[in-house]
Amino acid sequence: MQASAETLAFLHDVRVFESFSDPDLIALTERLRPRELRRHQILFREGDPGDEMCIVRRGTVLISKAVTGKVEQVLVRVEPLDFFGEMSLFDGSPRSATAQAETEVELLILGRDSLQAMTDAAPRAAAAFFYAMVQVFMERLRRSTLQVAEATRWGLEATGLDVEAR
Amino acid sequence: MQRPAPAKFELLVRRDDAEDFELRQVASVVGYLNSRPRRVDPDSYEISELRSRLAVAPGFILKNKATDRFLLLSAQERFLWDQMDGATSLQEIATAYVLEYGEFDFEIIPSLLRKLQRAQLLTFEPRSRLRAALARNRGRVIVKALELALTSLERIRIASHNVQGFFQALYRFGGFLVFTPFAAIVCAVLALVGAAAALMLFRDVRDMLEGFGGHALRGILTVKLVFFASVALHQFVHGLACIHYRRRVREFGFTFLHGFVPTFYIDVTDIFMASRRARVVTAVTGALVHLVLGAVAFIVAARAPTGSFTQAFAAASGIIQWQALVVALYPFCFIEMDGYHVLVDVLGVPTLKHDAIAYAKRILTGAGRLREGREELLWIAYVVLSTLSVAGFIAFNVWIIVSATH
Repeated sequence: MQASAETLAFLHDVRVFESFSDPDLIALTERLRPRELRRHQILFREGDPGDEMCIVRRGTVLISKAVTGKVEQVLVRVEPLDFFGEMSLFDGSPRSATAQAETEVELLILGRDSLQAMTDAAPRAAAAFFYAMVQVFMERLRRSTLQVAEATRWGLEATGLDVEAR
Repeated sequence: MQRPAPAKFELLVRRDDAEDFELRQVASVVGYLNSRPRRVDPDSYEISELRSRLAVAPGFILKNKATDRFLLLSAQERFLWDQMDGATSLQEIATAYVLEYGEFDFEIIPSLLRKLQRAQLLTFEPRSRLRAALARNRGRVIVKALELALTSLERIRIASHNVQGFFQALYRFGGFLVFTPFAAIVCAVLALVGAAAALMLFRDVRDMLEGFGGHALRGILTVKLVFFASVALHQFVHGLACIHYRRRVREFGFTFLHGFVPTFYIDVTDIFMASRRARVVTAVTGALVHLVLGAVAFIVAARAPTGSFTQAFAAASGIIQWQALVVALYPFCFIEMDGYHVLVDVLGVPTLKHDAIAYAKRILTGAGRLREGREELLWIAYVVLSTLSVAGFIAFNVWIIVSATH
């Protein structure tokens, strides 16, 4: 992919690339693959194989997990500058959730080979990337904990269970 | 401390097309209103009335025999306790409360539920015995398939919550005419002329049903399909009545009741906030759709050539429509239709069917004895009349099918 000024400015604002120098960003840009999704197009389903992460450049992507039958719980709505799919990027595990475009979407895709190449060619940039990624993981872990608490609160409110007084 | 907003789930519900979906926010309050609290087994508690010289209203003492915990209940709370049978949702319990007391206290149900839970007097069980039995035997392929089929059918629900504007427009552009004295006169005249036509037709019932040309079953199924459309009209008129009394139509839609009964439905529960007259009119006018359609069908049948398909089709439609009128307005048939709601509203006994069946069950199993109170007489009358009516209804339909076949 060509490193246009617009793309560089966009990537500079993506949290995991914030500490990248311009030459590192240009090198990274060349390793990113653009992809467009039409509205409601499914990018991947839960259980699909995968080894790429996706950065949202335009539009929103819904990440959902199957609950029962045709019903899925929306885990998060990924908006521009945010990314998803990073778990499969690192461990190559099947996709843990489904990603589907809510609107027209433009993505930038970073594959595992590209990540490996970046690590070899620019270890300092790669270290910054991994450090930022750890911070993002911690935030997402906190968010998951909050979601578990919220699901518990939903259950308590829906059943009217009074567990305070015994 | 400020209370947090009710918890919500955002759910993505897929349609048949794999990519198409709908996003729904489900607040915990929806689950709460649909929950069905169930009191513990009757052997596990005792309840007795507490009379006081000071207090005007009676109180009740409820004892959990397993834990020896006691609760003091007001008459209103006792009423709510009696509704908590595991089959009645909190929304239905609240409706019964309004019918009984003519007002609603928004805190009474949550507060009572908290008290009962602390005293371990409530259990949590699946909503239907059929579904519970299916869940227990899920290991068998046929049971699993049946459960899946029922769940899939139950999910089919085409509904709109944003129908108030539509019904207001429908009322403004002609719907109001249904609630005029002129409409009542037209309805009465049609009923009389229709009844005369029906009587005339029944003299030659065999010749008339020959119009199906030996395909009685197919003919009746067609008539049933046409009838199905009239059920939607029935619900529309309920909606118009609700608008007539300046109340809100909350929802209109189509679903499979219990997973296998296709039906149209309308949510006009807001009418409970209006007068008793409004509630009765709302219930009755919907059913009158079948009176009018049945009368028109009989008139058409009377004017059609004897033995023609048109005559057989119109006469069968007339019978089905008038049967629907009877089923809808006749309260004694174990089904909670419009007439039943009018009856319990007028009598002030919102749990008549439930109490009557429970009483009859106790008598038949020897667990209870016959007593001569007003309520007991009402319960017995309800069960006897309903049993006879259902038997009569089945016999009448068998007679029609046999007449048509031979």
